[in-house]
Amino acid sequence: MSLSLNSLRACLEGAVPAVIATCARDGTPNVSYISEVHYVDSGHVALSFQFFSKTRQNVLENPRATVVVAHPETGSQYRLAVRYLRTEDSGPLFDCMKAKLAGIASHSGMTGVFRLRGSDVYRVESVEEVPGTRSTLPASEPVGLADVRGALARLSGACDLGALLDGLLDELQCGFGVRHSMVLMLDPARGTLYSVASRGYAESGVGAEVRPGEGLIGAAALARIPIRISHATSEFGYGRAMREDARRHGVADVDAEIPFPGLPESQSQIAVPILAGERLLGVLFAESPQTARFGYDEEDAFAALASHVGAIASLLGEDDEPPSESARIPGATSPGGATLSVRHYAENDSVFVGEDYLIKGVAGAILWRLLRRHADEGRSDHTNRELRLDPAIRLPDLSENLEARLILLARRLEERCPSLRIEKTGRGRFRFHVLRPVALQEIPR
Amino acid sequence: MKAGGIAVPLEEAHAEFIQGGVSVIVATRDAEHVADAIRGCGCRVSRDRRRVVVLVDRIRAGTLVANVTANGQIAVVFSQPSTHRTIQLKGTDASVVRPKASDRALVASHREEWIDELCRIGYSREFAAAFWGRLPETLVAIAFTPSAAFQQTPGPAAGQPLRD
Repeated sequence: MSLSLNSLRACLEGAVPAVIATCARDGTPNVSYISEVHYVDSGHVALSFQFFSKTRQNVLENPRATVVVAHPETGSQYRLAVRYLRTEDSGPLFDCMKAKLAGIASHSGMTGVFRLRGSDVYRVESVEEVPGTRSTLPASEPVGLADVRGALARLSGACDLGALLDGLLDELQCGFGVRHSMVLMLDPARGTLYSVASRGYAESGVGAEVRPGEGLIGAAALARIPIRISHATSEFGYGRAMREDARRHGVADVDAEIPFPGLPESQSQIAVPILAGERLLGVLFAESPQTARFGYDEEDAFAALASHVGAIASLLGEDDEPPSESARIPGATSPGGATLSVRHYAENDSVFVGEDYLIKGVAGAILWRLLRRHADEGRSDHTNRELRLDPAIRLPDLSENLEARLILLARRLEERCPSLRIEKTGRGRFRFHVLRPVALQEIPR
Repeated sequence: MKAGGIAVPLEEAHAEFIQGGVSVIVATRDAEHVADAIRGCGCRVSRDRRRVVVLVDRIRAGTLVANVTANGQIAVVFSQPSTHRTIQLKGTDASVVRPKASDRALVASHREEWIDELCRIGYSREFAAAFWGRLPETLVAIAFTPSAAFQQTPGPAAGQPLRD
């Protein structure tokens, strides 16, 4: 009896090398290791075509082959009778396999070596257990649909973007046991992603940036598909790679950047794009010191959660509350304590408090605007709408962009400059608290 | 193996390698040219290094015996898990032979060495043991004369004929 390929997805993780036996036209068999058998759907798998090999030459001549895979936890083995169908060199499957390779390659600094020439698609004609290989070791529990459903229902109740993103990371932690995770939002103008929420790191890393295509997160964002790494070696350490990269771009840059908070001993990583329809909002990232922590099941679950969060985020952004009169009443008080010296560099909107870098970009521009309004007009109550229409802030025309910047700004202030504080006072409005006297210095372009 | 058209014995180092704690994967094919792969459980090389015998658990052997008997075609990959060093031998004269009395001990020591190899690269002993499986009750022995050998360690030289 043929087993279902869906029940064997754990065997298609590349944790244990698979083998493929093929036969040349003249009848000479060949057997070769394959690093990964990619699950396509319940009836198909794909192998990466990176090099011209005997295996490939054989299947082009004679498409019938046998693949043997092993379960990474139990050691049970399965034989797949496969038939080579075609090679795809564009489209979603190719992009997914390419992004996965690119993710691995960018971590190992071997981008050229990992070039994917094509995705060789095979139909799986039958699946059977290899006799005598049934193991008594337990396989881990599959991710439950009920858990996913519960998480979706709770996330639906989020009242704003901050609560939604925090809720997402909390669900990962409580429902799926994921201890290290973060959400990065897209800056559509620059194409970079910046972290707005994280769990499980010594430094929150809120504000840390990832460039498009960089590492697993950048690759997932660029290709808009989830990408996983199950067996990163220590040299794939995200944080380290990022820091080294930053160093290559000049030490001065490192000082004005918030270090990426990655785990030094990261073994498993997953990056899932958060999409609202076709539009990329951000990326959900999780990692673990355990190997093969995130499988196909986790990918499915996180993708479902991310998709839900993307839809809710775009709904939440749609209706800012109209500004009421009370929001316009100046609420500034005269604070006491030592004077806080704040410098703003017009060139890139970076803001320093004393000698310490705080923030830059749109969030920096917002902070400067709030500080100026406070100093010049004595204002502390603001609405999202007013900021969105403010030409000095140059915000891309999408509401969740502003909301994400405000979350980033509020969290950076909380961590680095508690004398300045953003407090939400209602839907689409907030109060900016200045708890110490402030001296503002503008450094023009 | 053939060098300049004349069959030559395996290099001593290669003979030693394939008899160590390496993964042994045996491929054969049927009359319709469909190849099958079976995990072997040990290997021995004749004193003159011209004949190789691979051992397989009969329970796992599947189509192996019928294929070998029908056409004698065989390909065997030997790979060391800790180094990925891999070589493939091919033969056209494979046949089923009687296992030796000493083969049971050979298989038992292959199991131990292979499990140690996997532990060395971070797998648990429990998993490695489950993967290798229980010691076979009945062994099938397939003998062949290597007529071609290829280096298959991942990298630029993969697929090249093995240099002696």
